[in-house]
Amino acid sequence: MIGKILRKNTSAARIAGFVLSNFIGMVIVLGAMQFFRDARSIWTDDDSFIKSDYLVVNKKVTAANTVGAAASGFSAAEVADIESQPWVRRVGSFSANDYRVLAGVNSGGRGMSTYMFFESIPDSFVDVPRSQWVYRPGSDEVPIILSKDYLTLYNFGFAASAGLPQMSEGLMSSIPLTLKLTSEDGTRTRTLHGHVAGYSNRLNTILVPEAFMEETNRALGTGAERRPSRLIIDVSRPGDVAISDYLESHDLEVAGDKSASSASFLLRVVVGIVLAIGALITLLSLFILILSVSLIMEKNRSKLHDLLMLGYDTTTVGRPYAMLAVWASVAAFLLAIAGVFLLRLYYLAPIEGLGARPSSPWLMLATGAAMTTVIILLNLLTVRRRVRAAFR
Amino acid sequence: MEKILLEQALPRVFVSENIPASEVWLSAATTFERGNLYLVEAASGGGKSSMCAYIFGARTDYEGRILFDGEDVRSFSIARWQEIRRRHLAYLPQELSLFPELSAWDNVQLKNRLTGYASDKMILSWFEQLGIDSRRDYPAGRMSIGQQQRVAIIRSICQPFDFIMLDEPVSHLDDDNNRIAAGLIAGEARRQGAGIISTSVGNHIRLPYTHTLRL
Repeated sequence: MIGKILRKNTSAARIAGFVLSNFIGMVIVLGAMQFFRDARSIWTDDDSFIKSDYLVVNKKVTAANTVGAAASGFSAAEVADIESQPWVRRVGSFSANDYRVLAGVNSGGRGMSTYMFFESIPDSFVDVPRSQWVYRPGSDEVPIILSKDYLTLYNFGFAASAGLPQMSEGLMSSIPLTLKLTSEDGTRTRTLHGHVAGYSNRLNTILVPEAFMEETNRALGTGAERRPSRLIIDVSRPGDVAISDYLESHDLEVAGDKSASSASFLLRVVVGIVLAIGALITLLSLFILILSVSLIMEKNRSKLHDLLMLGYDTTTVGRPYAMLAVWASVAAFLLAIAGVFLLRLYYLAPIEGLGARPSSPWLMLATGAAMTTVIILLNLLTVRRRVRAAFR
Repeated sequence: MEKILLEQALPRVFVSENIPASEVWLSAATTFERGNLYLVEAASGGGKSSMCAYIFGARTDYEGRILFDGEDVRSFSIARWQEIRRRHLAYLPQELSLFPELSAWDNVQLKNRLTGYASDKMILSWFEQLGIDSRRDYPAGRMSIGQQQRVAIIRSICQPFDFIMLDEPVSHLDDDNNRIAAGLIAGEARRQGAGIISTSVGNHIRLPYTHTLRL
């Protein structure tokens, strides 16, 4: 009976207006969010060791460099200059081995070995769980991150021409490498095992943990001061023109896939703009609902007052309006969820073709639920205020 | 609730005016006690309805104090007022405040369902006594004022109360219905040991008043 009295003056059109605008706003917000989470993997997932915000730079190799080897390294002053740039968060140097490395593989009685090299970067730049990227001092087991390009060179260049079997990433990782480290003068040696912990697209090197590099350089190295030939830079604004300008003017080169960082930056900017628009529409729809509910309650003020005069409590009197707000918000939320999943159906196949791995929709659902909760709470507050205003 | 006390009470609109001598407004203490029957007489515009609204907590635009058993009603929360309205204080407003879209029966049930006080049989017998049982399913808005007044009288007694305030309850009733209504209300008040505060500009409900006050 209370509902019958109080639902008078309810405008279906206004409530539908809210549901529609809230639906549109939420589809945009949640859709953009889900799209970002789904698409981001195109740039980040194929290289989980190094974030796309990191740049690896080296000096351009010229004829002059070839004559004096030291000249291609970065001096302390040059590193400090890079560190002082506004777009730089932090800088790490690559350290190289100061001894000889002979890596051998034994498979089925056939052995082969090759000279190679190691580099290391500060562990904080390597995005691998600590448990996988660890070297305990004195241990004879060391993890290695290998450039994917090397495996490709082997599989399609060397193995094909030399009649050797091709190797998948998984197979390669399962083969134990025997590493023989020898000091420059040949007096000190050390033998240990290496295993490939992962492959990187963006690091053109053979990476070992920093602790391992320090320990072996101390034990087997010549002790000579060596300048880092490459730097890894954590960039705060990927895609910033200032970065390319600076690199250009200092004759520096970026190694690896340069487009990834700017593409992921661009994705972030575009998604940010779309999110802002969606958030604005959602905010406006919130005002539509608050105003609609307020308007209905204002029109029914005398009825509210009369019910309160009979002794009905404020919660009971406000309930029809509270329910209206709750159902309208929940309806908009459910429609928006359905909308996002439809949208996803439409875009998922194409971006999967680009190498994206869909991420779980839980964060999107939770965000939608949180937004809906806020809308409902604000409306309940409005209802409560209006009912109390009708008391006298 | 045993006692309603008005101390130096005066509607704010009267503050700057010269008002005729009154036994309520600005009196040091006007007391309504449970079990007594009060008639408050006044001329039109004397502030009867205002007094009722102040006591019922519907308005606060007055000077002075109103106390229920010694407690200033200005300090009451909304929840406290709603409890008082359901259990302790019944009120028949002059404007009746029926819901025109609801039937006479539903208007009464709207109150009775809240208090769970009267049985359907009881209510039906009240409808019969006041001669509106044939109109019980009529929308209240389409009934005559006199019929609406009788519906509102029935609604006002569908609750337990310590006091019942009647604001010109029989202004549109003939003598017969006046007597029947008086009998119903007095009967309910007696059963509950309640007090009655009735206002009138002349045509007052026929009750055996114990006190008469001039507003």
